Amino acid sequence: MRVFARLLGFLGPYKRGVLWSAGLATLAILATVAIPYLSGVAVDAIHSHHRGRLLYLALAILGAGVFRLGVSAGRRLVAGHVSLGVEYDLRNLMFGHLQAQELAFFDRQQTGQLMSRATVDLQSIRFFLGYGLVFILQSALTISLAAVAMFVLEPRLAAIALIPVPFVVYVANRYSRLARPALQEVQQRIAELTADTEENISGVRVVKAFAREAHQRARFERSVGRVFEQSMVEARLQARYNPLIGLLPQVGLAVILLVGGYFVIHHSLSIGQFTAFYTYLLMLLSPMRTLGVSLSLAQRATASGARVFQILDRLPQLTSPPGAPPLPAGNGHVRFEGVTMRYSEGGPAALRDVDLDLEAGRTIALVGATGSGKSTLAALVARLYDPTAGRVLIDGADLREVEVASIRAAVAITGDDPFLFSTSVHDNIAYARPEATRAEVIEAARRAQAHEFIERLPEGYETRIGERGLSVSGGQRQRLAIARAIIADPRILILDDATSSVDASTEREIKRALAEVMAGRTTFIIAHRLSTIALADEILLLEDGRVGAHGDHEELLAGSALYREIVEKGLPDSVFLTRKPLESTGASL
Amino acid sequence: MSARLDDVRRRLRGTSGRGRRLRGLASLVGPYRGRVALMVLSLIVGTAATLAPAPLAAQAIDQGILPHHFGRLALIVVLFGVAALVVWVMTVAQTYLVEWVGQRALADLRLQIFEHLQRLPVSFYESRPTGVLISRMTNDVEALDTLVTDSVVTLFQGGLTLVGTLVILLTFDVDLALVTFIMIPLIAIGSLIFRVASADAYRRTRETIGAITGNLQESLSGARVVRAFGQERRHAREFAELNEHNRGANMTTVYLNAAYFPAIEFVSSLATVAVLLYGGDQVLNGNIKLGILVGFLAALNNFFDPITQLSQLYTTYQSGMAALDKIFELLDEKSDLPEAPDAKTLERIRGELHFERVSFAYRRRDGEATRLALDDIELTVAPGETVALVGATGAGKSTLAKLVARFYDPTLGRVLIDGTDIRDVTFQSLRSQMGIVPQEAFLFSGTIRSNIAFGAPQASDAEIEAAARSVGAHEVIAALEKGYDTEVGERGGQLSAGQRQLVAFARAMAADPRILVLDEATSNVDLHTEARIEHGLRRLLAGRTAIVIAHRLSTIRGATRIVVLEGGRIREQGSHDELLAAGGAYAALYRDWSTAAAA
Repeated sequence: MRVFARLLGFLGPYKRGVLWSAGLATLAILATVAIPYLSGVAVDAIHSHHRGRLLYLALAILGAGVFRLGVSAGRRLVAGHVSLGVEYDLRNLMFGHLQAQELAFFDRQQTGQLMSRATVDLQSIRFFLGYGLVFILQSALTISLAAVAMFVLEPRLAAIALIPVPFVVYVANRYSRLARPALQEVQQRIAELTADTEENISGVRVVKAFAREAHQRARFERSVGRVFEQSMVEARLQARYNPLIGLLPQVGLAVILLVGGYFVIHHSLSIGQFTAFYTYLLMLLSPMRTLGVSLSLAQRATASGARVFQILDRLPQLTSPPGAPPLPAGNGHVRFEGVTMRYSEGGPAALRDVDLDLEAGRTIALVGATGSGKSTLAALVARLYDPTAGRVLIDGADLREVEVASIRAAVAITGDDPFLFSTSVHDNIAYARPEATRAEVIEAARRAQAHEFIERLPEGYETRIGERGLSVSGGQRQRLAIARAIIADPRILILDDATSSVDASTEREIKRALAEVMAGRTTFIIAHRLSTIALADEILLLEDGRVGAHGDHEELLAGSALYREIVEKGLPDSVFLTRKPLESTGASL
Repeated sequence: MSARLDDVRRRLRGTSGRGRRLRGLASLVGPYRGRVALMVLSLIVGTAATLAPAPLAAQAIDQGILPHHFGRLALIVVLFGVAALVVWVMTVAQTYLVEWVGQRALADLRLQIFEHLQRLPVSFYESRPTGVLISRMTNDVEALDTLVTDSVVTLFQGGLTLVGTLVILLTFDVDLALVTFIMIPLIAIGSLIFRVASADAYRRTRETIGAITGNLQESLSGARVVRAFGQERRHAREFAELNEHNRGANMTTVYLNAAYFPAIEFVSSLATVAVLLYGGDQVLNGNIKLGILVGFLAALNNFFDPITQLSQLYTTYQSGMAALDKIFELLDEKSDLPEAPDAKTLERIRGELHFERVSFAYRRRDGEATRLALDDIELTVAPGETVALVGATGAGKSTLAKLVARFYDPTLGRVLIDGTDIRDVTFQSLRSQMGIVPQEAFLFSGTIRSNIAFGAPQASDAEIEAAARSVGAHEVIAALEKGYDTEVGERGGQLSAGQRQLVAFARAMAADPRILVLDEATSNVDLHTEARIEHGLRRLLAGRTAIVIAHRLSTIRGATRIVVLEGGRIREQGSHDELLAAGGAYAALYRDWSTAAAA
């Protein structure tokens, strides 16, 4: 009930609109009720041969019609405005709130889950607040008004006529509640079918290579069968309840015809009154059904509301104190003081008690096995996370005490599987500085060895890439991401395995250019290749979350057995690593 | 102006070829004629019975109530009740049957699309984005879903009710009916304008909501980048803008609906007034009975409802038809790589592979050939030999490999296995004796076991384990909590790149192919896994004819022969030592590598 009250709170800014739409709806219903009433009176007038009255009544009906036209149109406009406004507000609120959450929040949540809250759940809330509430009001009002009118006309008949109402509302409500999980299951199975389709299309080479078409077809047929079966479960529900909802009022009508007719025959009811009565009952058919469905909309919205509030009530964890100063000026001196990092409470430590003092302007290679804490260390420098214990300082300031935006402006980070937005190449490179000129973008692209391939794209720098555009290879993505980091002109640059998918000769070029870029900034390089490590001034060897060794190449060769082993074994050689041409973006053979 | 008119005309008519599309749709339900007939019957009987109450009520008034004849009234009420029961039974039947036939037809269509996709050659997939093909199977089939289930019922019920009501109104009284029909042109013109305008408006709302979902999806999956560059506020601003567009588009539909639906309601009250005035006059003059007038008024409701329902159907109809078009376009795609009608079964392969003066050019979608990807290749690989293909991007390595598996046919020349042209044998017999290991190890969702057994479905658990063991994958798999029963997830996403690679090797091993085509992976894995993969690869290659697109020096060194490709031609070939001694292209590449590693 608390959730429900909070949901109604979203209507707050639209109080006047809601009142107007309720008022207009009432008037529209009054007009709708008046028309059959007037027709009934007119029939009586005809029956008693009052020609003059007939004309007046016709005019009155016409007037009611015009009135209803104006009022209904007004109601639709106001209600539309309110419902769209609520939807708009809710969406912005939700989006803003998601943007305010720290990265750790997204590590724990599945994107699909968040998406469904922001789309499906918002929609059910909007349906209820925008339409459901008005429908409930309208149906309840129609039923009550018609009931009052019927009681005035003939109380005994009215009592009989209203018997089906609770049953219809109950059955309609029950159906809506049962049908929803059944329909969701249909959707779920369709989603599975889609995944199946996706897999077969993406994996078509493997299927063909092993000549396993028949097997895959049989598997797909099972998925199709599952969708069909569940659709039939839904169909059976529909077949059981929907016709019943239609039948109940018809039975009511039959009874009214019989009993009402009996009353007319025995002169306790006029034929005109009877006609009006009968019409009212016809008029009740759709509100009864709507009421049942709308009530289930309310139940659904409440469930969705609970899920949405779970997100809206979550306070962003990674904030800076109000009025925090920006990061002080400096050249990128990084200090770690007793830093321990766990991604979840009680989980394993990704970094353990790390103390580091890194001089500004140096290039530091982070070396270590998968899971040794390299990426975690880098992420802490950008304050993508806060350490569980200890402090991270840039140019003497504890990152928790300065403005977050100023840290992000000073630190640029790029990873091995960089995410690009589905905008133009230009916009992707200029991501951190949207106002950058084309010349600046080209300069950054040149430095990242991306300019040449960009020039060859269908529309050059205006080519749309990403999910809904042209897909580019891993190596090209990495180069674009490096350009994106370069253009941000950061104090500290973090390259997290940023050239893993680039072929050897391009990598050499990038590094040559990077040497220039790295001058005057503190740079962290996480790399698997010896040639990359060679770029660094100092090497930080991480072992299981601890600093195993720290020094330059010679010092580590002399002092660290692990480092010696790495150097001796060499790393995956990739001189012949060549990327597929742009045209074939799918998995090549 | 005339272009605009054409546009309107096109939208009214829908695109051409309607007959063909409807025939296609009909052929889908063909196999279920019996049920379709029952469905149509239940729709007709059900709708007819729905229409009965209005005239029965009129009869009840005229025959029973007004002449004070209770017995007759009771009889008519019984008929009324029977009609209600008939409606009930028929609706039950029709709800179930429509859904059954519709869903069955869609399931068949899905299978048909799937089978068709399977028949299409690899070249087809390379020229089309995966998303587009998936959308045929999902969005387009679902658009049809709405058309075949909801719309069929509305169309039948609406259409029949309209026709039935017309007949009833006419039998009540021709003059009164004619008075009512004056309203038809009003409604027709209004509905026409409405449907043209709203088709556009609803398309815009779908587009804008699509943009919103896309933006949201992106800023969620890209949360890391957004935060790393501190661009949260910009995204919120962009989102609000899209949100505003969506509100604007929706508002247009609100305007349209606010104008249309109340107007239709108004026309129905106009009709009531007209009928009352004219009919009242007729009753007063003794030309018609009062019951007729009352019944007529009651039946009027049935007349206007179906008109609005049918005009709402239009948008569904259009999007359904557009979807059908796209699906048929896909089903019309012909395979340009058919199996020969008299294809033989390829005997057990010894493993001799011969490219006989092979040239190849890719075709663009418009059928134009591009430049030669392979130019007069003459190459013989002896049984058991490992050939490493080396060369720059675009040199023709992948193309050469694809020709062996007959993913493409050569433009000129022949590819022969043990002296047989591979175009003369069945795909099944060719590919079941051939192992292909793609660069990115693609796994299907399911267990590790089912993935290893993918090419050898009859393999026992022991055989699967043996295959895994021999490529060095067993220890890695056994170390997983559920071992061979570990679910690999969609595309194998639950496994690391190195683990996927090892499972793909085991899969190729289990299929025990005579000829192996392997595109070496380039992704970085840690040292330990790297050593395993190297070892696994050696075991996999042993004793088979193999073509390897090599990226690792160790693989290249281990090959019996290295073929250096350049611009679609064989530049040089020989063993590692021979080529180094020759001091050609390979020697230069090798120097590059040495300096890179030592830098």
